[in-house]
This record gives sequence, structure tokens and C-alpha cells, in this order.
Amino acid sequence: MRLSRRMLIVLSLIGLVSGALLMSVNMFTKDRIASNRKKEIEKAVIKVIPGTKSSLKIYEEKDFTVYKGRDDQGNVLGIAINTAAGGFQDRIFYIFGLDTQLTRINSLFVLDQKETPGLGAKIASAEAFLQFWEGRDVKQPLVLRKPAVKKDALAQNEVNTVTGATISSRAILASVNVALEKIKKLKQEGRFSIEGSDGD
Amino acid sequence: MDLFTIFAASILINNFVYYYFLGVCPFLGLSKKVGAAFSMGVAVTFVMVLTAVASWAINHWILIPYGLDYLQIVAFILVIASLVQLVEMFIRKTSPPLYQAMGIYLPLITVNCCIMGLALLASLKNYNFPETVVFGVGAGVGFTIAIVLMAAIREQLELANVPEPLRGAGISLIVTGIIALAFLGFSGMIKQ
Amino acid sequence: MATRTNWEEFSKGLWLDNPVSRQLLGMCSTLAITNAVINGIAMGLAVGFVMICSSFLVSLIRKFIPNQVRIASYIVIIASFVTIADRFLAAYFPPLSKALGPYVPLIVVNCIILGRAEAFASKNTVGRSLIDALGMSVGYIVALLILSSVREILGSGTILGYGVMGDWFEPWIIMILPPGAFIALGILIAIAFQIERKVKQRS
Repeated sequence: MRLSRRMLIVLSLIGLVSGALLMSVNMFTKDRIASNRKKEIEKAVIKVIPGTKSSLKIYEEKDFTVYKGRDDQGNVLGIAINTAAGGFQDRIFYIFGLDTQLTRINSLFVLDQKETPGLGAKIASAEAFLQFWEGRDVKQPLVLRKPAVKKDALAQNEVNTVTGATISSRAILASVNVALEKIKKLKQEGRFSIEGSDGD
Repeated sequence: MDLFTIFAASILINNFVYYYFLGVCPFLGLSKKVGAAFSMGVAVTFVMVLTAVASWAINHWILIPYGLDYLQIVAFILVIASLVQLVEMFIRKTSPPLYQAMGIYLPLITVNCCIMGLALLASLKNYNFPETVVFGVGAGVGFTIAIVLMAAIREQLELANVPEPLRGAGISLIVTGIIALAFLGFSGMIKQ
Repeated sequence: MATRTNWEEFSKGLWLDNPVSRQLLGMCSTLAITNAVINGIAMGLAVGFVMICSSFLVSLIRKFIPNQVRIASYIVIIASFVTIADRFLAAYFPPLSKALGPYVPLIVVNCIILGRAEAFASKNTVGRSLIDALGMSVGYIVALLILSSVREILGSGTILGYGVMGDWFEPWIIMILPPGAFIALGILIAIAFQIERKVKQRS
């Protein structure tokens, strides 16, 4: 058989077989992969909106996704914003939960960060950083408190910096303030709806 | 993230060699003369930009719209291999002296982790078209800087009295590590 | 070259021809994910899977592939198995998949696999190719284990997440950062060279 014809046949065969193989592997795994992702986000939403039993995505934009958390009866308990901050070495992906009136942060949780271990990475730890975010009043932009004080000494709109993680702390703060502004504006413009126990 | 930030970050903070560990294999074998290293770097940058364009196009016009993203790996590597072939043919026909200077590096670039890494990272980070191109240019420049630095140091190392077991790969890797350490100092410089 | 016994064919991948310490291939993956032993194991198994399957398939159809398209064919075969490994990890071990990130897809440009396909599997029987691939895989996993153990113990004071160094130890953070990877690998390769020199001197 002519060489060029043979080359074509061999390549096509290999392509077809590999395509078929990959397609079947994809069919076999894609549901599982999608549900893994969904579970990860749901776990995060449950963490930042206490009492949540299920979550629903209500708004999406590049690097800014909003979810609402509902309890068993379908009542909306709060919303969670999943967004990213520019960290020391790479972006920091985090999520924080607000009440439905957008007046208070329930808590903040870092999902993915590549900060320096032992230093910048402290922002992912509850006792070094995250606990100070609980219950913050966000009617006004948040402010960093320096030097850090005990939690009870913080004003309602203040958050502690972490020693050795100044840049990372500032990055998260700036990002949260920007996100807050954005969500308030979006709510004003009616770009998403919180209330109501609408079905999926 | 604006374009300049992406460009600068991919050279200084997220350098493809010193942060992402990509492009290390040719790095160790070839970088013995600064001139050759620079040619390699330019060739890689050129292929990177082409790959950035092609991979973005394939990803956003074919793979994602038709739900074929599980074919990404196969598609990317085939695109890269074909691009490199085309570039090699093009250079050989249009500019023999250029081909003499850097054409020999081209086949090696296909298996250079850098190119595939660029396509994958740009896709992972969800960059749009201009961002992907700028990322490609920055990555190429970063790689070129790294490989030229390495070649310059190795030229000096040739004259030094390196202990036998460390010669070659050992000392190259250690030197690279020290330079990577220096580059860590750039972190946090650019607001991402 | 005399024909090797099956054992020699297998064991050459462990030391004499170890893909990491001797052939100096596959550095990208080796450096990137050896910051923790669990990552090293996962990557080693993934590479092993791809290498064994690819070598097997390439050797099986080696007589049918025309010379001019062999590299393209190998690439498609390898890329397919890499995709399978990547999807499998994403589906059943999501945290590992996240930790390894883009480095699993990058196995497709891992010179070790293409190198074995081209240098060995395309010229040998299926049986011998399998043995060769197995040897290379085990050699690669061992190299990854050593490097990742060093990096994790020194860099975090743990192995597989379990603390082993005690409270007095202040971790060398640098070890789990990129510079530490380069330096650790450089030193390990130098040690391997030195051991080989000593062995040669004795015989």
C-alpha cells in the first residue's frame, strides 16, 4: 500500500481509537468531577453561612460568584461571595458569608492560596486571621487594625493584620471592600434576587 | 488583572523556570554559551506567542463550546507539535541563515514543558485573548532571562574547580536554586 | 550489545539508568510536586501508569506505524493515557488533583515517557517493553520518594502529614519552596554520581 495512504490510515485509526477511548472515559468521570466541584463549593458556603443545608448560585461573573445558603425549609439564611484577591505570589481564592441585608460578615474562609508557608499562609488559619472576621459590621468599608489587638478590643469594622503576612492581609481586606461595594451596587441594580424560596 | 501586571509578574514573580519549574530539561543540557542560550530563548518566546494564540483559539472556539474539554491535553500537544513543524519549515525556506542560527532548537521545543505549560496555565487561569498573549510573551521573556543567566554562569563555572560529583547537573541545579531564591525577593512587588 | 536478562532489563531503571538521577529527564514534574510525600507518590503512580500503558501499546503496534508518523502517533497515545490519568485523579482524588494541578497534564511532555517509547518500546517485543517500562517507573517513583521525603521532612517536619521531627525543629521553609526543590535535587544527583564513582572505583 502506498506510504502516504498508509500514514493517513494509521494516524486516522489511532486518532479514532484514542478519541473513542477518551470520550468513554469522559462519560464515565464527568459527573463525578462536576459533583466534586459542587460539593467543594457547598462545603465552603456551609462554612460561611452557618445553618445552611443547601446552596444555590445566584450570580456569576469572572472571579466573582454569589451563592445563597438555604436551610431545610428553603429559607434564605445569607449569601456567600466567592472571589479572589491578589496575593504575594499568586491569587488568593476565598469566600465570605453575609447576612441577607448585607450588613454583617458571618465569617471568611480561604479556599486556595499560594502564600509563603509559615508567613503569608497564616491568613488561612482561623486563630491567626480568620477569627477576626467574624461578625464584622460592613455598612462601612472595613479597616485594618495595626498593631493587632485582642478580638474584643476590635471595633466592629476593624480587622487585625497578621504579623509576617502584612501584604496578604491587606490584599484580602482590599479585595473584601471591593467585593462589598460591588455586591451592594448589584443589589441596588437588582441583578440578583436573595429573597424567596424559589426552586432550583 | 491588567496586562502589564500579567507581563511583569510572569517574568519576575511567577517566572516559568524559577516558579513553575518549566523548561528545566533543555535548560541543563544546552545553556553553555550565552549566544546559543539567547537564540534558544528567542525561539521559545516566538513559539510561545504562537501557541498562546492557537491554544486560546482552540480552547474557546472548539473545545469549550462543544463540551470537549477532556480533549484539551491531546489537542494542545498536537497543536504545539504542528506549530513547531510549521515554524521550522517556514524558517528553513525563508531565511537559511536564521535556520542555521536557531532552527536546530526547534524540534526540542516541542517537548519543552514551557510551551505546553503555557497553554495549560493560560487555560487554568481563564485568561482572555489579550491576557493570554501577554502571558505568552512574558513567559518567554522570563525563560530567556533565566536561560541566558544560566549560560553566563556556566561559562564561568567551566573555569572553576567544581568537585567531580557536582559537575554538570548538580551544580547547575544548585545555582538555579540560588537564583530562584533571589527571584523570590520580587514577590509582593507587583500588586496583582 | 549482549541481550539482557529480564531482571537486568527491569533493574536498570532503578539505578544504572534511573530516569531522574542518570538520564536527567522529567525534571519539571520531579521538582514541582515533591514538596510532600503524598504528592510524590501520586505523581509517581500517574507517570508509571502512563509509561506502562504507552510502552505496551507502542510496542504492540510498532510494526504497523510508518516511520514518518511515529512521533505523532506516540504523542497521541501518550496524551490519551495522560488524559485518562488526569480525569481519574480529578474524579476520585480531588484534593490530590488540586495539589498536583497542571503537572499531571504536563506528564505528556515528560521526556521519560516519549524517550522510552522512541528508544525502546518501538524496537522491542511487548514483553520486554513492559519490563523496561516497569523498571523505569519504579526507578522514577523511588527517586520521587527520596526527594519528596527530604523536602517534606526538612520543610514541614512531617511525612505524609504526620509530624516526625518533634517540637524543637524549626522547619526549613525554603525546602518546600521552588529554590529548595532545585537545591535538593542538585545535591541528590551529586550524591548519586558520587556513589556510582565509588562503586566503579572499587570494581
